[in-house]
Amino acid sequence: MNRALTIAFAALAMAGCAAAAQDAKAPAAAPVAPAAPVAAKPPAGPPPMPKPITLASRPGVTGGEAMFVEHCAQCHGPNGMGTGLLGRRVQPAMLEQRDNLAAAYVVMAARRGVGNMPAIPRGEVSDADLKLIADYLAAGPHGVAK
Amino acid sequence: MADSPTPPRVDAATLKQAQRAFESALGAGKVFFEAIDREGYKDKFAVNDAAHHPAGAIAPTSVEEVQAALKVANQYKIPLWPVSRGKNLGYGGTAPVMAGSVVMDLSGMKKIEFDPQFGTVIVEPGVGFYDLYDFIQKNNLPYWLSTPGNSWGSVMGNALDRGVGYTPYGENTKNICGLEVVLPTGEVVRTGMGAFSNAPTWQAYPFGFGPGWDQMFVQSNFGVVTKMGMWLMPEPESLMGMDVEFDRPEDLKAMVDTIAPLRRERVLQQSPSIGNWLRAAAVATRREEWTDKPGALSDSVIDAIRKKFGLGWWGVSLRLYGREEVNKAAYKILESAIKSINPLIIKPTSWVKGQPLEYSGWTGTPMTFPMQNVNWYGGRGGHIGFSPIIQQDGTKALEQFRRTYARYQEYGMDYQGSFAFGERHLINVNAMIFNKDDPAMMAKVDPFFRQLVADAKTHGYGEYRTHLDYMDLVAKSYDWNGGALNKLNTRVKDALDPNGILAPGKSGIWPKAYAGEKKA
Repeated sequence: MNRALTIAFAALAMAGCAAAAQDAKAPAAAPVAPAAPVAAKPPAGPPPMPKPITLASRPGVTGGEAMFVEHCAQCHGPNGMGTGLLGRRVQPAMLEQRDNLAAAYVVMAARRGVGNMPAIPRGEVSDADLKLIADYLAAGPHGVAK
Repeated sequence: MADSPTPPRVDAATLKQAQRAFESALGAGKVFFEAIDREGYKDKFAVNDAAHHPAGAIAPTSVEEVQAALKVANQYKIPLWPVSRGKNLGYGGTAPVMAGSVVMDLSGMKKIEFDPQFGTVIVEPGVGFYDLYDFIQKNNLPYWLSTPGNSWGSVMGNALDRGVGYTPYGENTKNICGLEVVLPTGEVVRTGMGAFSNAPTWQAYPFGFGPGWDQMFVQSNFGVVTKMGMWLMPEPESLMGMDVEFDRPEDLKAMVDTIAPLRRERVLQQSPSIGNWLRAAAVATRREEWTDKPGALSDSVIDAIRKKFGLGWWGVSLRLYGREEVNKAAYKILESAIKSINPLIIKPTSWVKGQPLEYSGWTGTPMTFPMQNVNWYGGRGGHIGFSPIIQQDGTKALEQFRRTYARYQEYGMDYQGSFAFGERHLINVNAMIFNKDDPAMMAKVDPFFRQLVADAKTHGYGEYRTHLDYMDLVAKSYDWNGGALNKLNTRVKDALDPNGILAPGKSGIWPKAYAGEKKA
């Protein structure tokens, strides 16, 4: 069980969405080269929160991986809500690292919602795009620190 | 399985005809009337699972398709409920106020037009904070977003709902500059300088000539916004500040009275938010790790939480943005002010361009992890928030806190409160985290919420934004001169939307056609 949570800094908040905490286990999978010029090592202390995974951090990706990054990585990336909550029950918490996701299960979880995950409606992600995502995850595990 | 609601006075056969007409206008691939669609567009965080069920959804992806959909809706008298991305969880998500409405899902409209010289952008409704962040990263643009605690949603949707972020551009609705709107009867208008053909200044000057109507389309049901201009903050040279903790509940008074003048003076240009210990605990842990006792958390549990996370009763993060020399000077003023009111801990932070960036709300980085708080009680979690606007006055804030905290204890709910600064106001956000799998708890949420509305009303405080369930209740609380403002809104609504097909009930504005649906 993943209970090793480190507060990177406390406070940030509106509408009950608050507090910057982070999963201390996640950063290992996280570092992504920032686009801006960067020097020096991060200071000591709690590990910094990882940069969000977006298409810019995986140039050239296509197909199911691109769809996953566009539609899912917000929550199922290194510092996302989905990763944080799944990490309380299952490892690895990152969907892209799983080797046991069936495509049909991915489709069902997305369309109906599961646990605290809201349903992803068809107007937002089409059946065809969801199939690409499901097939991509079913073909995992994938390396994610790209 | 999902039920099949129909709008008032529309039978199943007419709804079916309308569905076919939507399919002709948009293509069958953009029309969703299956059971899974009616389920998928419901309110995930609903307190009352029986309310706000949509009849189906449509997903136009262009202005012309929005116009075509409105034409069908007017022809068949089908109410439409537009959502940009529908991720304002806690306020209703994708679900409509009125059951039987058809959701107009605009998440497929994702164009971004960015002006790197002036730091302005035009976004369509489906552009999420992550999409805009991605665009900025791809193009290496020197601008920062101002992201909310759940950045999964739409940039436009957030600004049109008066959501906030944490940077100096955090009052997102104030940074709207020019809209393109499809009126309920199908005409397209552009506001501000956009009303002037070929004006290169649409995103430069928000007012144009004559009445400035950007805010008319904010939290309203007067049109479908298809483009929104917005200003973005230039990447600062320096970011300095401090995270501060205070020991006692009553320290809230000194915190507000110390920070507020700095905010009004604009020494502080961002919008700090004072919050309590549960913010961190509910994101990082579950309640069962602390106690198995029902009712509001006891002082001993609160002490344990504070000890584990190194928190005070209240914490606040203060940040300065801009030139390094200016920030250094301002920091001294900030430090001296904060030290004078006996903080428990001051943790200074400092960044200058070229150093590794902190990927947080302070740098406008999109995030979703704060929503982990819905797992606090376990089960299928959710939350709603009661958020009145109060004065920027320490005594008043402390009184408001004490009243509200006593109610949380009375109703046996764990307190997550914050006081977020604007320039002249505070938004007192009271989050109610709940567990939908606990019927006893769920039965308390609605009476608790109504009690807080009533308490605040007694002191002249009204909400800035609310969940679908309470739009009528809150609209009714804006009652000066016999509710003159709501009457004006209704007259405007009836003039612009004679069939009342666009988002009836939004913000308590009911067109004539559905006036009987009003609750309160």
